[in-house]
Amino acid sequence: MVLDQDLVRHLSEASVSVELETPEMTLNIGPQHPSTHGVLRLVARVDGERAFDVQPVIGYMHRGYEKISEVRTYPQVTTLVNRIDWVSGYANEVPFIVAAEKLLGVEVPERAQFIRLILTEMARISSHLIFMASYPLELGAATPLFFALRERERVLDLLEGVTGGRFHPNFNRIGGVKPAYGSGSATRKVIQDLPAGFFAETRVAMDKVLYAVDELDALVADNEIIVARTKGVGILPPDVAASFGVSGPNLRASGVKFDLRKVEDYLPYHLFDFEIPVGENGDCWDRWHVRLLEIRQSVRIVQQAIDGIPSGPLQAKVPKIIKVPLGETYVRAENPKGEMGYYLVSNGNQGPYRLKIRTASFSNISILPWILEGVLIPDIIAIMGSLDFVLGDVDR
Amino acid sequence: MTSSPSETETTVHPLQEYADRVAEAVGGTAEITFDTIKVKVPSEQWVSSLTTARDDLGLIFFSFLSAIDWSSEVAVGDPFPEEVEDRLELLVTLGDLSEGRRVTFSTDLDQESPAIPSLIEVFAGANWHEREAHEMFGIDFEGHPNLIHLYLPDAFQGNPLRKSYPLLSREVKPWPGTVDVEAMPGSDDEEEPEGPSEENPEA
Amino acid sequence: MSFLTELFSNFWVSLVGKLLIVALMIPLVGMVIGFAEIKLSAKMQARMGPYFAGGRWGWAQLIADGVKFFQKEDLIPDQADRPVFKLAPVLVLVSTVGLLVVIPFGPDLIFRDLSVGIFYALAISSLSTVGVLMAGWSSGNKYSLMGGLRAAGQLIAYELPLVLAVIGSVMLAGTMSMSGIVEAQIAAGYPYVILQFLGFGIFMIAALAELSRIPFDMPIAESELVMGYLTEYSGFRFLFFFLAEFANMFSLSAIAVTLFLGGYWLPGIPESVLPYAGPVILLAKTFLLVFAMIWFRWTFPRFREDQLQSLAWRWLIPIALANILITGAFKVYL
Repeated sequence: MVLDQDLVRHLSEASVSVELETPEMTLNIGPQHPSTHGVLRLVARVDGERAFDVQPVIGYMHRGYEKISEVRTYPQVTTLVNRIDWVSGYANEVPFIVAAEKLLGVEVPERAQFIRLILTEMARISSHLIFMASYPLELGAATPLFFALRERERVLDLLEGVTGGRFHPNFNRIGGVKPAYGSGSATRKVIQDLPAGFFAETRVAMDKVLYAVDELDALVADNEIIVARTKGVGILPPDVAASFGVSGPNLRASGVKFDLRKVEDYLPYHLFDFEIPVGENGDCWDRWHVRLLEIRQSVRIVQQAIDGIPSGPLQAKVPKIIKVPLGETYVRAENPKGEMGYYLVSNGNQGPYRLKIRTASFSNISILPWILEGVLIPDIIAIMGSLDFVLGDVDR
Repeated sequence: MTSSPSETETTVHPLQEYADRVAEAVGGTAEITFDTIKVKVPSEQWVSSLTTARDDLGLIFFSFLSAIDWSSEVAVGDPFPEEVEDRLELLVTLGDLSEGRRVTFSTDLDQESPAIPSLIEVFAGANWHEREAHEMFGIDFEGHPNLIHLYLPDAFQGNPLRKSYPLLSREVKPWPGTVDVEAMPGSDDEEEPEGPSEENPEA
Repeated sequence: MSFLTELFSNFWVSLVGKLLIVALMIPLVGMVIGFAEIKLSAKMQARMGPYFAGGRWGWAQLIADGVKFFQKEDLIPDQADRPVFKLAPVLVLVSTVGLLVVIPFGPDLIFRDLSVGIFYALAISSLSTVGVLMAGWSSGNKYSLMGGLRAAGQLIAYELPLVLAVIGSVMLAGTMSMSGIVEAQIAAGYPYVILQFLGFGIFMIAALAELSRIPFDMPIAESELVMGYLTEYSGFRFLFFFLAEFANMFSLSAIAVTLFLGGYWLPGIPESVLPYAGPVILLAKTFLLVFAMIWFRWTFPRFREDQLQSLAWRWLIPIALANILITGAFKVYL
């Protein structure tokens, strides 16, 4: 539903009083601004409080990953790739490694796949908790930030314990996950598995996360002011979403029950029992609520995975210097922000010939000119925040 | 789960039947490459094929639009072991939102002056993807209302993702030498750090 | 003692004395409430708050902040309208100081017992609106202008509910003098909030809006307009606004306590103790309301501008008018 430009202009002129002629103003929101999640610039033409033409200007964080990856080896590209959506670092590596493994024809051991799945779900919890923290802050409520980030610290500590990094794990290797080598007097021959106490601590952390999510639900979900600011604001119809390529919780909030974890086979999600939360109206409140419910489902998956993890090797037998044979494939995954995919073209060498990185936030914010038409300025902030994007994901 | 290479002589790939159906509907040729359905259509039919895919096959989800620069001579990275036909291959991946099927449609464009009608009327999301392909590869999308730079600064000249576009750092240190790697402080060498080896496969 | 009473019965000496006390009260009250805000908000958010300034309590934090503000460079933007820019914070602070004059701290402890006490208080508090507009306009910055316009709209819209809400209390007391209202509550034996709960609620909501605190802080919506009309202010000019906000919290809460919660009186306190216990009781009740304001600020998000306006015009004003009608009927027939 697009507001007729002429109608908007006519209406705004009609309401102008006799003394003050209010011409339109061009307002630059960003690139340095407290609310744009990174260096995003919105050039908004506004009339009073109403914006009628918002054009995003992106590229301030373009790092040229696709070109760089043509001169890097596969393990080196893994390092680059988890910096795309840095909030959910681990989840970016998985589809890339799976694509390389598909071309090599390597079978990943079960235990490695379970570990990948646990870490991916933790990345999802971490990303959604950041959203839970920052979105009410943009609306003015300062307190949920602390509740959400406190629990996120537990998850990040777990990630750091396993992978050595909070945001940039570099934990995937072709054929599995990185086997940890012994330290001190133990030589490189001794391979250690997950750190001691990992499962017990994870169980505790998941319980605390669930409790915090319940607290956030009570504090934020039914708060009258939050409801007034987000219900009915920024409605995204499902057909428009599909046409623009909007994916992830944004798409599910519009009523489309579609989750790549159920249809793609990059990780063994078919072994676990979880639901897909779906929203009703596609407004900002639904987008917030779907992410809250997804945290609960992720916790459920992690708990099941911990209980059922098989033993075995952490990495398949692969040659030390890996040359991926000729071929091309597209692997896509359900990242916390949406669909992330890698179209990998290999020419038989140590690095990719062409790596197209399909990121979720790029398509998610391409709807901004459409969805911000005729919207009040405070609603611009509310809608942008509800799309949950990260500039690294947009600009690569 | 990763699977072993999908095509063997005796078994038929589970996606083959769907791939053939898609190829027949849009008038192209289907190929299954490592679990990915790739349908090649002639460039004259580009818009009409994708419109058919959207309307008749239920592939309403626009995943991405990009291109591959197939060249025998490359300014960066490794070339192909054998000669390839020099062309620009335009890719569009579409998906459906009910069963999770996805198809990558492709067409070949001339490398010297690639031009093709824009998909903006068919999929609104093609807007930004085509702008990116335009600035990265130099493809001219006819009918696109706003074909200006998306990522790159306005004054930038050249098409970076073309294989003929060099990387400055690789002019000095050609691939596969390591670049921008500092030696550890206190180590007494000015030698180049080594690449992957038996001892340390992740260098 | 008689020497002192002789001295202070002189008009000029007592005038200077009162001015000194008021002048000192503003920074003192501002700092105490500011400190309460930073510590309370920290506790509500599972953190410690200021910890290092002044032992393990951080009580010297605001003193340190005050010194910091004073020694900053006085930046005035090139495009700014200099005299107006400099005058705006002064106007806001003056309106705050003026409010303290009519608050009764005890049976005879009031700076000036005006017979139109509450009328004067409401009039003086509207001066700050002018100051805010001046700040927004003179900054020479689009964001500040938008913030100033939003603020003006909001403050004007919420003046009406503020005024209408007090009328019920004034009608019940029969006088506009502030100490007269407290004495009427003492005579009646109950604080007026029991009958005027609607008025009390509306007054508190309108007071939050007059203070531009969350949930009504659209004018300084940090996440949207950087700091709104305050964007270009730094150093001691910003300190004036900052202090004025906290002092205003105190003043408006004290007025609410006087009008609705019985002022310096508690049922059961004998008359003879009142001159000494009065200020303590008033301060305790005022800080209770201030605590509620701080609590709301850290719990709620902010209203959108049009929601804010519709709350004032479509809900608060009709309810306040209904309250007046009901109070009038009650007064006449009972």
